[in-house]
Amino acid sequence: MRIHRMTRAMALGLVLVVALSACGKSKSSSSAAAKKTTITIGSEKFSESVIMAEVYAGALEAKGYTVNRKLRLGTREVYEPAAEQGTIDVFPDYAATLLEFVNKAAGEATGDPAATLAKLRTRLEPKGLTALDAAPALDANAFAVTKATADKYHLTKMSDLAAVAGQLKLGAPAECAQRPYCGVGLKNTYGITFKEIVPLGFDSPEVKEALKNGNVDVAEVGTTDGTLDSLGFVVLQDDKHLQPADVLTPIIRTKALTDDIKATLNKVSAAMTTSELAALDKRADVDKEDPETVAHSWLTSKGFVKK
Amino acid sequence: MHFLSQVAHWFTTSAHWHGTDGIPHRVLEHVEISVLVMAVAVVVALPIGVVMGHVGRGGLLAVNVSNIGRAVPSFAVLIVALQVTHHIGAVPAFIALFFLAVPPMVTNAYTGVREVDPELREASTAMGMTGAQTLLRVELPVALPLIMAGVRTSAVNVVATATLAAIVAFGGLGRYILEGIANRDNVEVFSGALLVAVLSLGTELGLALVQRWITPNGLKPRDSVKNEPIAGAADALRPAPTPP
Amino acid sequence: MSGAVLATGPNSWVWWPWVTSHGALIWSATREHIELTLIALAVGLLLSFPLALAARRWRWLFAPILGVTGALYTVPSLAAIGLLLPLTGLTRLTAEIMLVSYTLLILVRNLMTGFDGVPDDIKEAARGMGFSPTRQLLRIELPLAVPSIIAGLRIAAVTTIGLVTITALIGLGGLGRLMYDGYLRNFHTPLVVGATLSVVIAVAADLGLVGLQRVATPWARARRDA
Repeated sequence: MRIHRMTRAMALGLVLVVALSACGKSKSSSSAAAKKTTITIGSEKFSESVIMAEVYAGALEAKGYTVNRKLRLGTREVYEPAAEQGTIDVFPDYAATLLEFVNKAAGEATGDPAATLAKLRTRLEPKGLTALDAAPALDANAFAVTKATADKYHLTKMSDLAAVAGQLKLGAPAECAQRPYCGVGLKNTYGITFKEIVPLGFDSPEVKEALKNGNVDVAEVGTTDGTLDSLGFVVLQDDKHLQPADVLTPIIRTKALTDDIKATLNKVSAAMTTSELAALDKRADVDKEDPETVAHSWLTSKGFVKK
Repeated sequence: MHFLSQVAHWFTTSAHWHGTDGIPHRVLEHVEISVLVMAVAVVVALPIGVVMGHVGRGGLLAVNVSNIGRAVPSFAVLIVALQVTHHIGAVPAFIALFFLAVPPMVTNAYTGVREVDPELREASTAMGMTGAQTLLRVELPVALPLIMAGVRTSAVNVVATATLAAIVAFGGLGRYILEGIANRDNVEVFSGALLVAVLSLGTELGLALVQRWITPNGLKPRDSVKNEPIAGAADALRPAPTPP
Repeated sequence: MSGAVLATGPNSWVWWPWVTSHGALIWSATREHIELTLIALAVGLLLSFPLALAARRWRWLFAPILGVTGALYTVPSLAAIGLLLPLTGLTRLTAEIMLVSYTLLILVRNLMTGFDGVPDDIKEAARGMGFSPTRQLLRIELPLAVPSIIAGLRIAAVTTIGLVTITALIGLGGLGRLMYDGYLRNFHTPLVVGATLSVVIAVAADLGLVGLQRVATPWARARRDA
């Protein structure tokens, strides 16, 4: 008796699992109604990247495109080659950082968005990629300290660091020492040499924890990071303008580019300002809203998507 | 072949043998935390398991704690430890590794002492030994192979999971693998993985030798399971380490 | 900020509104997790048969296979991923090869010791009764090896469920995706939900397989109840 009941239960369970996994696969693409092409959009794992990718995706969907999302793919080292190979068509990026990625840290990016973008376009062309118009939104590299540190050493801008940097530890990506806008640039532009550079990544959870509990005294962060205020961090002003123009730029495979897509994405980019992007980031990282939800509410509020 | 020569080049690059990111330092970090965790975990886990086995209480818990421990993903424990302690590196790494190391040793210590032949226990009482004397002079020596097997399982698990601790900014050999994945530097990833594999294997083999060395000849574990109706019992003799 | 044990709202350890509003996400992560696990177990079991049968046929293979599988098993999964990356890239295939490797290592050993554990007198009796080698394998040795196989499946299932979370580092992860999001955004709830569900399905798999073992070995029940 017990055996039969157990066997039946297990058989039912097995059938359920198989049926439910089959369910997922039966979700077919609505290719019947697609009169325009399908676009695949990728992003990195952090919220701002997901938000921007969702913004592009939503805007294109509102124009009738079918969008495949491959969000949270990984770092630039993963998705840029994927775009070159055609696995993804569009991804959001930052003009200066992408330029330095493709030119292998040659230091060509400047504080001028237009010049940086022009240089980026020439560098991307042989790779079959196109940079569309940049948004006004800027997410630049910056260096942050705790309020206590700022008060202690009277720090408001980067120049203030020169005198005390030798006593301080910096949390930054492992390659900082060799990078033109990090270790090298800090020394040449500001005369800053830190006591130690601890490899904790860029604007990562670890570097922010380390800054909070004093494992490092300075951390490299992004200016639109929504958590900085709630963590009590002070971002030091880049008074000598070391940091280049990291404006938000959609990158698209040249072969996938059409005038309509170009117009759509440029229109959306034009509407995204720095403060708006920072507010969206805060909703995702501090208020813990889904980046996808945040992106859609922005698109709706700007009229790109009907509610 | 070209790739392997790049790996060989990585190992022969002098810069990779110096400084905080050099191989000696990373190996040292890795070994240090493993030894530290094991030292503390042994002191905590073995007495608990042994005493529980001796008095015969808490068997259900002792036997199942390692099953449940195996089911908890170390990845999650590391991140939770990071978020609870607000510390990075060695602190969350230690916590996660400690909770990983304790259960197998408790289970094996308990089982080892519990499965001592009751006749042996009776004989000791008949000879006038107290409970403590029985434990120390009879049960422990007999249970030693199983206890040692538990220590070995834990040690290999700890060395393996210390690799993963790189995600909370711990050093160790996992750094090479994580940095390599982030930078898409397959040579670094592969080289780091090789180093980790060698260290894990070395730990396993080394402790296997120690286990064999301290096992009295008459108590060497049987190699086949001919008389076990359920092979699970034999698992305790030949424990399966959990890679994280 | 966060981490306060009794915090409410998004920074609490389980922000229930998130759980109820993200059922679809949680379910798809769980499904991916179960899928990856089942594939790894099935393929591992299938691949373990040729090896175990080879060891059964040629006795001298027994110790080396046991040794090699035992040794390889100690290699941490992150390192295994690292060794595979140059070959198969950041793909689902890499994750599956890694997962199958570990299930294979466990199941081969258990299958081998299962066959090895069939008492010689039973094998002799079968020969005496005129069983062909194939019939002996299928009707005698395989059923008697079942307890060992299922014991192996139990360990393999629980181990694999844990390993799947690590594939979050290469873009997959099943429930590990939730954990990774929790890590990136300092968001406790998906982390806790992901970890808890991972334990739940591991325990469920373990118990389910214990049940399967009892069903598959009625003769052991008789001995137990005797």
